[in-house]
Amino acid sequence: MDPITFSIIRHRLYRVVEEAVITLKHVSGSAITNEGHDLMVSLYEADGTLLLGGVGFLHHLTSAAEACKSIIRRFDGDVHEGDLFLLNDPFTAALHTSDIYLVSPIHYKGELIAWSACFVHVYDIGAMNPGGFAPDAVDVFSEGFSSPGLKLVDRGNLRQDVWDTLLNMVRGPEMVALDLRSMIACNNVAKDRMVALVEKYGLPTFQETCKSLVTQSESRLRERLRELPDGSWQSRQYFDVKGEVYKVLLKMTKKDDELTFDFTGSSPQSKYSVNCTKWASLGGLFAPLFPLLCYDITWNEGVIRPIKVIAPEGSIVNCTKPSPVSVATVGAIQSVNNAACTTIAKMLASHDKYEDQTSAVWHANHFAVFMFGKNQRGGDAIGILTETFAGAGGARTFADGVDIGGEIPNPISRMANVETVEAMFPVRYLFRRRLKDSGGGGEFRGGTGGEIALVPHDAPDGGMHYVLSGKGSKFPQSEGLNGGNPGALNDYVWVHSDDSKASHNCFSQSLSSIPGEKESISWGVFPLMGNDALYVRWNGGGGVGDSLDREPSAVLSDVINSLISPEAAKEIYGVVISNNLVDEAKTIELRNSLKSERVDAKASQK
Amino acid sequence: MSTRQSGTLVINDGFTCCAKCSAKIGPSGQPWKQLAAVSVIKVSEIPGSTSSTHQNVEIRHFSCPKCLTLLDSETALPEDPFLDDVISN
Repeated sequence: MDPITFSIIRHRLYRVVEEAVITLKHVSGSAITNEGHDLMVSLYEADGTLLLGGVGFLHHLTSAAEACKSIIRRFDGDVHEGDLFLLNDPFTAALHTSDIYLVSPIHYKGELIAWSACFVHVYDIGAMNPGGFAPDAVDVFSEGFSSPGLKLVDRGNLRQDVWDTLLNMVRGPEMVALDLRSMIACNNVAKDRMVALVEKYGLPTFQETCKSLVTQSESRLRERLRELPDGSWQSRQYFDVKGEVYKVLLKMTKKDDELTFDFTGSSPQSKYSVNCTKWASLGGLFAPLFPLLCYDITWNEGVIRPIKVIAPEGSIVNCTKPSPVSVATVGAIQSVNNAACTTIAKMLASHDKYEDQTSAVWHANHFAVFMFGKNQRGGDAIGILTETFAGAGGARTFADGVDIGGEIPNPISRMANVETVEAMFPVRYLFRRRLKDSGGGGEFRGGTGGEIALVPHDAPDGGMHYVLSGKGSKFPQSEGLNGGNPGALNDYVWVHSDDSKASHNCFSQSLSSIPGEKESISWGVFPLMGNDALYVRWNGGGGVGDSLDREPSAVLSDVINSLISPEAAKEIYGVVISNNLVDEAKTIELRNSLKSERVDAKASQK
Repeated sequence: MSTRQSGTLVINDGFTCCAKCSAKIGPSGQPWKQLAAVSVIKVSEIPGSTSSTHQNVEIRHFSCPKCLTLLDSETALPEDPFLDDVISN
């Protein structure tokens, strides 16, 4: 077909998704949608083939595609113009119950021509813990309502009985209603713009473009894979829940123009809610694949076709019902994401042409802190600390990672202003800043993570509570590349109040200066009451290359800017700093000494 | 003629070699890490770790046995095997 028309329609499809995302954000009232951008919009062909995935949480592109196909199967013969379907069952297609998919058919002159789908993490889903992440859950039945597919809007009419039932099962129904309405509006905008597109270019041209777009993506990815050498690459991720250690093991094999991701050897499914369903694992591995390997290829079904996945049933990457999965998105999914990022990065690093496209692992360990309780106005408040979306960039082969630089699976994420959080919850920040020594060491340093401390403030109930879950604080997860070190670890500390020194914490500027007994925590529901404080730090990105090859002037700059400590300058980078200057002679001496230890260690092992 | 194996390794005449000094490390198409110089550091001893850090988790550094250039690293528990990356011949 005419390449110019093809290109125009392709770009119009991107704009359709973009405008639908803007609609989601404008209508939804929650910080997790507006600030964290925990959302996604995608378009599908009439048979459910993924046509175009937009920005947002990329973990959802493949699972939303399955949601669309599942709706088509379930409602075969009962899909009408103006319908809208809801699906959030993790064992059907979703990642976890609180990420609700709304899927909408798009008709043109009475003919089904396409679908749109979107999700947001709704304000609450009726799980046993507020906010959707349920560390106390023992099975999926205690993680809120879950539907394998229901019709929410029938021929343009909201089904009030279904609507009322849904909102009767959740906390903060007015906020959940806003979330659902934002998704309805989003799908309506997508539908209107798609119809306008077809109106302008005609249905045959539109459909031909869609087919070509998918075919083009597949052929371009296969062509890229053929350029890269055949081989296999391995990666491993550890995480912990309440002292139990879990492992995601991945072997990625590339042969000719296909990639196989094999998770054999990963831990058995957990009794805790960190498990992945198979849809979640699929989403986790595609999230880095789209941007790293397909940065110039349209993200659609064509990209999925050359990929095969082996995820043993009953494992943490393919759990069986009724295993709990509500923490999956910050649990095993992210580990799958990190493992896939590492293997893809190593494969790209094996070819001169793609060296600059590779990357160490970015922000590898979300912390999920959902605050809940009475706010300063006496109303109910539930919401996530959006700093978890602030992330940290992995280093590249030519540059440091971006400090607090986001994450690969959600390139548009950000954190709310301190003032936004303090307006939503009865808390006050003691500090929020970049975290020293958090970026993984390397010739190119990983971007730093961050740290925050919160205390109750103006709380009618004396404070709030929070749900804490994720992947623990025992293992680094932002793996380095080409010898680079991983980024530092998360940590969560409950500072129990010391009443005799309570006033001291008003201006504390570090964890050590907050008065009171410090207890490391990582999983469950905890109080933030009275004069207590909550300290959270999050991981940096992985480094690239040998730390001893880092420019000493860059190390000095990092020390001056408090991004690394003088100890790290010496021990990791072998740089001696004296009077804010690099001591070049001592640096050479120290680097030679550190290098020689690499031999000594091997010899001592023998 | 050498071909690239990774950011730090090349394949030369059927051998995996250090990209910096060209020293042969082992036959290409096979795991090479056990033939490299291996040094280990506990994550808990690295600046930036915390008291929560798992006491056994370590970073393994794999270096060229000849010039000691760092070739790769990996995070591991001591009981777990090396991760193998292999380019097919």
